[in-house]
Amino acid sequence: MIGKVLIANRGEIAVRIIRACREMGIETVAVYSEADRDALHTQLADEAVCIGPAPSSESYLNMQNIISATVISGADAIHPGFGFLSENSRFAELCEQCNITFIGPKSQVIQSLGNKSEARNTMINAGVPVIPGSKDPIYNAEEGAKIADEIGYPVIVKAALGGGGKGMRVAQTPEEFVSSFNTAQKEAQMAFGDNTMYIEHFVQHPRHIEFQILADEHGNVIHLGERDCSIQRNHQKMIEESPSIALTPELREKMGDAAVKAAKAAHYTNAGTIEFLLEKNNNFYFMEMNTRIQVEHPVTEWVTGIDLIKEQIRIADGRPLSYKQEDVHITGHAIECRINAENPAKNFRPSPGTITDMYLPGGKGVRIDAAIYSGYTVPPYYDSMLAKLIVHAKNRNEAIRKMRSALGEVIIEGIDTNVDYQYEILNHPDFISGNIDIEFIENLG
Amino acid sequence: MNLKDMFKKTSGRSHYISLRNSRPEVPTGLLRKCNKCGAAIIAEDVKNGYYICPKCHGYFRVHAYRRIEMIADEGSFEEWDKEMDFVNPLDFRGYEEKIHHLKERTNLNEAVVTGKVLINGNPAVVGVCDGRFMMASMGWIVGEKIARAVERATQEKLPVIIFTCSGGARMQEGIVSLMQMAKTSAALKKHSDAGQLYVSVLTDPTTGGVTASFAMLGDIILAEPKALIGFAGPRVIEQTIGQKLPKGFQRSEFLLDHGFVDRIVEREELKDVLSQILEMHHSAGAAEVKAAFKKDEKTEDKSDAITGFENNGQAENMAEQIKDSLSAWDRVQISRKKDRPVGTDYIDALFTDFMEFHGDRYYKDDHAIVGGIAYFHGIPVTVIAQAKGKTTKENLDRNFSMPSPDGYRKALRLMKQAEKFGRPVICFVDTPGAFCGLEAEERGQGEAIARNLFELSGLKVPVLSVVIGEGGSGGALAMAVADEVWMLENAVYSVLSPEGFASILWKDSKRASEAAEVMKLTAGDLKRLGIIEQVISEPEDFDAENMEAVCEELEGRISSFLADYTAYSSEELTARRYDRFRKM
Repeated sequence: MIGKVLIANRGEIAVRIIRACREMGIETVAVYSEADRDALHTQLADEAVCIGPAPSSESYLNMQNIISATVISGADAIHPGFGFLSENSRFAELCEQCNITFIGPKSQVIQSLGNKSEARNTMINAGVPVIPGSKDPIYNAEEGAKIADEIGYPVIVKAALGGGGKGMRVAQTPEEFVSSFNTAQKEAQMAFGDNTMYIEHFVQHPRHIEFQILADEHGNVIHLGERDCSIQRNHQKMIEESPSIALTPELREKMGDAAVKAAKAAHYTNAGTIEFLLEKNNNFYFMEMNTRIQVEHPVTEWVTGIDLIKEQIRIADGRPLSYKQEDVHITGHAIECRINAENPAKNFRPSPGTITDMYLPGGKGVRIDAAIYSGYTVPPYYDSMLAKLIVHAKNRNEAIRKMRSALGEVIIEGIDTNVDYQYEILNHPDFISGNIDIEFIENLG
Repeated sequence: MNLKDMFKKTSGRSHYISLRNSRPEVPTGLLRKCNKCGAAIIAEDVKNGYYICPKCHGYFRVHAYRRIEMIADEGSFEEWDKEMDFVNPLDFRGYEEKIHHLKERTNLNEAVVTGKVLINGNPAVVGVCDGRFMMASMGWIVGEKIARAVERATQEKLPVIIFTCSGGARMQEGIVSLMQMAKTSAALKKHSDAGQLYVSVLTDPTTGGVTASFAMLGDIILAEPKALIGFAGPRVIEQTIGQKLPKGFQRSEFLLDHGFVDRIVEREELKDVLSQILEMHHSAGAAEVKAAFKKDEKTEDKSDAITGFENNGQAENMAEQIKDSLSAWDRVQISRKKDRPVGTDYIDALFTDFMEFHGDRYYKDDHAIVGGIAYFHGIPVTVIAQAKGKTTKENLDRNFSMPSPDGYRKALRLMKQAEKFGRPVICFVDTPGAFCGLEAEERGQGEAIARNLFELSGLKVPVLSVVIGEGGSGGALAMAVADEVWMLENAVYSVLSPEGFASILWKDSKRASEAAEVMKLTAGDLKRLGIIEQVISEPEDFDAENMEAVCEELEGRISSFLADYTAYSSEELTARRYDRFRKM
């Protein structure tokens, strides 16, 4: 049952979940590490239980302590947030074994989707497009060239044991293939002592487009449109927006259908996200499914008007979805900027410390999800995200102007933040024109 | 800003009505409490993780069959003597009921499980004690099962591995229990005399009559970390002497320090370590060694055995030439240089898969001597080095390579082990001299050195000693009663240090450089005197960085040494060694 929810997380997402519970009249239990005694989530929840020392391996990742805290505090459900144990199937399974409602999908589903090759096969069987690639290992260039022709150029040759870019080469044309293959294979043999290769279609300059899914235990699955998360650095998203200007209504429908199909094929329940790579020619490929709430969920909340956390709780409680697909309308445009305690000038080095003074913007169409306050000390042990600034306006241009204005108001003293860096991106002509792909930040240099 | 109690709490009157009506309930057995650190742990994680606490890394006791699963290749275990009829030699009242009850509760027939397994493909006979059954105390059946397993291993020429764990004798069986100590030890003696390997693995707790019999008789004794191992239990000792025992007393680490354990092995590595040990032993045997090096010899015959010889000659000539430019005292100083390669450098460079073994089995593990088994060209050899350290800290730990009696006893133990298994012995000598101190005399430094000279002279396997730095007196000789003794170009070997020589003869240690000249302690001098066989030339500013050429040279020469000497019978070997020293 859901009468008291334990939030197995920290930071702004813990605060976000506590707020949703408070609104629903559900009591909350925060868990915290010794470094988080003064954290906002610890103070805001109705109760708080210390679950261990500062390192997350001993606290926020400590399954048995979290289960114990749940039982001792009398909570009956756990919201895992994102990160930490949110996609740990073992933890979800433990909750199931202990009759604790895990606010998320079933452990079995988390496990299947967490296994890359299993997830890929599920999607292929469901007719969801995946990046075309060789099924069997390839050992020579001749054999590889045939397969590359079937897959379609450009292709990327990868070592089976590869990693860190070693044993990896792109071939744009059939003419290039043989030399690319041989170089990659030689590198693989040198680096890993193995010359087993695979070939995959190379997705050039893609956008990162993801679809928000809601699925209940009664077989209803809907999507809440997409988020464009192409602005990322080292696979860490920085700015997310909804809708994406790259999607026509037809493409949105097509991708949305694929996302719903994917969720159904995986027997998915609760909130989840299907990540796609979108090519310039509008081909799109399934990458993975995130089996949890996302950092960037507020942009979807704003353009659809649906509270995703509350919906998660209802679904976990066995209720049918409050919305049908036809009830979902995308209104206006929302953008989110992640505000991190880091120094962009020093290679984005994390910048923990005490926030001496602080002012955050507000007003119509401005939302702040944060876990900071004046005098709060950002501990060095965890992710550096401090807050999310989300704006909503009639259209993208207006949203960009609103975001610029809001970023310009943010004052966080005492530690370094990426606010100015974000402000610059919001003024970049390519961003403004929407000419972006996942290499945008990399290309900024 | 302090937020404590600043926020309003959720109203007690919840207006959310849950559809579900289930309450959390932790199933019994899902979570357990670690009896070492007190942390809550998931029982299944412990089962899948070698029965080690994921929090404090403490070791839980392992049931016999789980233990076999951990080390045996899947499906390879063949159990022996599973059913044994109950015996009650003293007609002890209530004993039968107790055993009956335990059998039901534990699903075990008795406190030890024996049989045959494959460990990474290597066959071995195993015995595993299970503490759930009367604390694995040793009654007739335990003794009998072990004796039978060992006898069968002797017959089938198989190595034996026993995982020990025991409270000691089984009181209900009185004197019959005591006799099991003798019975198992006697069976192991026959097994050993048949040239077979016995490895004991001490687990928590190993005490009493088991410690005082089969647990301590391993050719190689391994232990799990922090296991309690002792003869008398700590409580009994405390009561007897009326004192609190120090922390860590009678734990594996304590036994390692005191020379009774060869190596402490983490449970995760146990299977691999055991299989490595088995491999090192079944590929031993004098015949195989001979065969292997005969092959080497042949290939060398074809290629460059002769030119190799000429090279040796050239190297020596070169040594002679360089000699003129350096005084004996220069060489003494070079031999003591801090960055000169040390024993462990040679072990790393010349051998593969070195497995270090510790302890003299009497009192201590002396870090001044490093020894163990390694492969040389795929053949197991025993390697023993007097080891200087590379840093001050290391040198303090290694006592600047001045061995204590315990070090010589460790070396001798490893040499005798090599003899049993037909492994050649290769020693690296590098010591200012045997350690001079109170404790050294108390434990018989003189006796220890003498014993090595005595035993080495008759050791039935080839022995090669290479003086790589300082060859200080009896402390060096204790590892150099060999078939051949070689020296690095700038190593020295003498009756005592030039400083000591000068102070005894001339009452002035400052005349050391003068002494060095008259003592004839350089490699060249000693070669001329017929004290050593070969000189290996060194590059200028010899250190660990540029030792490759020296090691290549050494490798070639060791290979031909082994080819030559493994060809001799043990009688020929010892006779030649006798003559070698007899004429000096």
